[in-house]
Amino acid sequence: MTAAARAAARPALHEGARPPGVHTRHDVHGDAVLDADVVVVGSGAGGATLAAELAEAGFDVVLLEEGPYYQTRDFTADTSAMVRQLYRDGGATLALGSPPVMYQEGRAVGGSTVINGGMSWRTPDKVLARWEREAGLAGIARALEPCFERVERRIHVAPMDDAAIGTDNRLLKRGADALGWSVIGNLRNQSHCVGSNRCAFGCPTGAKQSALVSYVPRALAFGARIYADVRVDRIMRHGKRATGVIGTVAGSGHRIAVRAKLVALACGAIHTPALLARSGFRSPSGRIGHNLSMHPNVKVVAIFDESVANWRGAHQAFQVRQFQEQGLVFAAIGMPPSVLAMSFPHRGAALGRLMDQYDHMLLAGMLCEDTTTGRVRTIDGRPQAFYQLAPADAANLQRGVSLLSELLFAAGARRILLPFHGAADLSSADDARRLLDRPIEPRGWEVVTVHMMGTAAMGKDRSRAVTDGFGFVHDADRLMVADASLFPTPIGVNPMETIMALATRNAGHVIDHARRFLS
Amino acid sequence: MTDYQHSPTTAAVLRSLVPVICPPEAHALADAIVAHVALTLGASPPLVRAGLAAGLATYDLGALPRYRRRARHLGPEAAERYFASWERGPTPLHVQLAHAINQLVSLACYEQPEMMERVGYRPGPWIEEVRRTRLTVHGDAARRQEAQILAPDPLRPGARVRPERAARGKEPA
Repeated sequence: MTAAARAAARPALHEGARPPGVHTRHDVHGDAVLDADVVVVGSGAGGATLAAELAEAGFDVVLLEEGPYYQTRDFTADTSAMVRQLYRDGGATLALGSPPVMYQEGRAVGGSTVINGGMSWRTPDKVLARWEREAGLAGIARALEPCFERVERRIHVAPMDDAAIGTDNRLLKRGADALGWSVIGNLRNQSHCVGSNRCAFGCPTGAKQSALVSYVPRALAFGARIYADVRVDRIMRHGKRATGVIGTVAGSGHRIAVRAKLVALACGAIHTPALLARSGFRSPSGRIGHNLSMHPNVKVVAIFDESVANWRGAHQAFQVRQFQEQGLVFAAIGMPPSVLAMSFPHRGAALGRLMDQYDHMLLAGMLCEDTTTGRVRTIDGRPQAFYQLAPADAANLQRGVSLLSELLFAAGARRILLPFHGAADLSSADDARRLLDRPIEPRGWEVVTVHMMGTAAMGKDRSRAVTDGFGFVHDADRLMVADASLFPTPIGVNPMETIMALATRNAGHVIDHARRFLS
Repeated sequence: MTDYQHSPTTAAVLRSLVPVICPPEAHALADAIVAHVALTLGASPPLVRAGLAAGLATYDLGALPRYRRRARHLGPEAAERYFASWERGPTPLHVQLAHAINQLVSLACYEQPEMMERVGYRPGPWIEEVRRTRLTVHGDAARRQEAQILAPDPLRPGARVRPERAARGKEPA
């Protein structure tokens, strides 16, 4: 057998039989009560990291996940099946406002890291300085430094291999270079990504080092137990002390209670505040669910004469950072034809003519650091997000669309379709610049996001923040948060690495005070 | 996900909308497209499903005053005019429903293998090709990364709350 054949035959770490320690709904045959030192609710960037760090230190950890357990071999080319299986509510989740903001969350072991693009950026210094200044988180920048290094080592943060970069990203770079704009290679949590461009639908090669193939196996190796398919209904409590959680197993309806000395919530910025609220926890600040930031995102589609084949090559290999100080970051995003078709207002023969050019399409989007906040309300126990795009952010997005279009024309685009209902297509850089001549009513915009943050924000002052500097809920005992809910402000870059670094730091705090938490 | 199935009304209205929303080359795939919409709705929140069903029923009946027949029975030109009238108004609710239907049916249309093939989208063979490349060209590096994931690396040197539990990690290969 040749070395190449042996390599091909050898399964990756995460493939093969379900690893010991992973329990799914098929393993739970009745109501159950479990005991643990720590129960972590949610297995995404924050929950899996916290679970792995605590398990390695010797804590007995139970990790609960609402979604199913999949392995790399389960991730196929069937886009809509992947969306139905990996996304909460099939991706049809909306923050209400005008325009409404469509947001996506992962719902599987590994959480949103299974469906994100894998961008791995440290929290910008200016953001950490702001957290120190405004939220009283003295020393957090220095404290996070080793945590970033540790996370980057664990999830293998690295620039892309050149061979994996596709035409869409090369065109984006070409446009930025032509205009003299700052463009950088994206750092991503990947180990020799080969550009399948399926990041958003579960990496089918195992290259993306999501929590599913990094922190989750690590947690298991150190003895953590994972229960998938369990939706946590409420936190058990004795006065202000959290004593465990109660959840329901999908399908069977069996109940699982986990009694624990420490409860950690990592359900994301939409569901963590809802779980706190329906469990009767109140913050002296009255701010649970407030302070919702979303990094609103709009996209444009450029059509080139040359073949783009946006589905071949690494996802977001570059980021245009020229306007980062103004809160705008641009990237190219490959998407399947079905996702593009649903974003167009066209239909009938016009849709067919447009989609026949799919091979020549480049989809590019932007991340906007928002200046306003929304709120997550809990209605009948379920969260509902409300978010009204601020006029200043709408103006910034409009400027972003203009600049991004200009870049794409510089790269050779011949036509650009806009994310504004009823807007005429652009056919030149002058058209792009003229977009700024008049404001466009945001009501008709298509705004999406995958970055929800801030709804249980950290801060020293319990009258203004929900959690303290280590993620513990003010005015509660043995209850902590370990997800993007903790962010006092939006961070202006992709949030995964910040979530993981905070979880690492806060795990260190628990380990350093183990006697207190294990008593 | 649930085992959602369209009601007869929902299925009939959606089927009648396929020629309005999808390109001509997809019209023969109407049954598959309607079935795909059911899969999407099965993964959607119950409120979305209920809202869409109510909206489609309203859309169906709403044609009666003007055309004296339900929307599902309109001829091609009338069906086109009627859907366009919802896209333009008269209320934001009409516009949103038309938009949502367009999105659902367009998504289902271009999830059909024939339509993906038509636009040159062939992800299956591509995934297989790059997966093989990764395992053959980068297999050793990938395995090193897998090994480091399981290697002990305590957050605080020497900080082991329960050493017998903490010793479970595996040394790098």
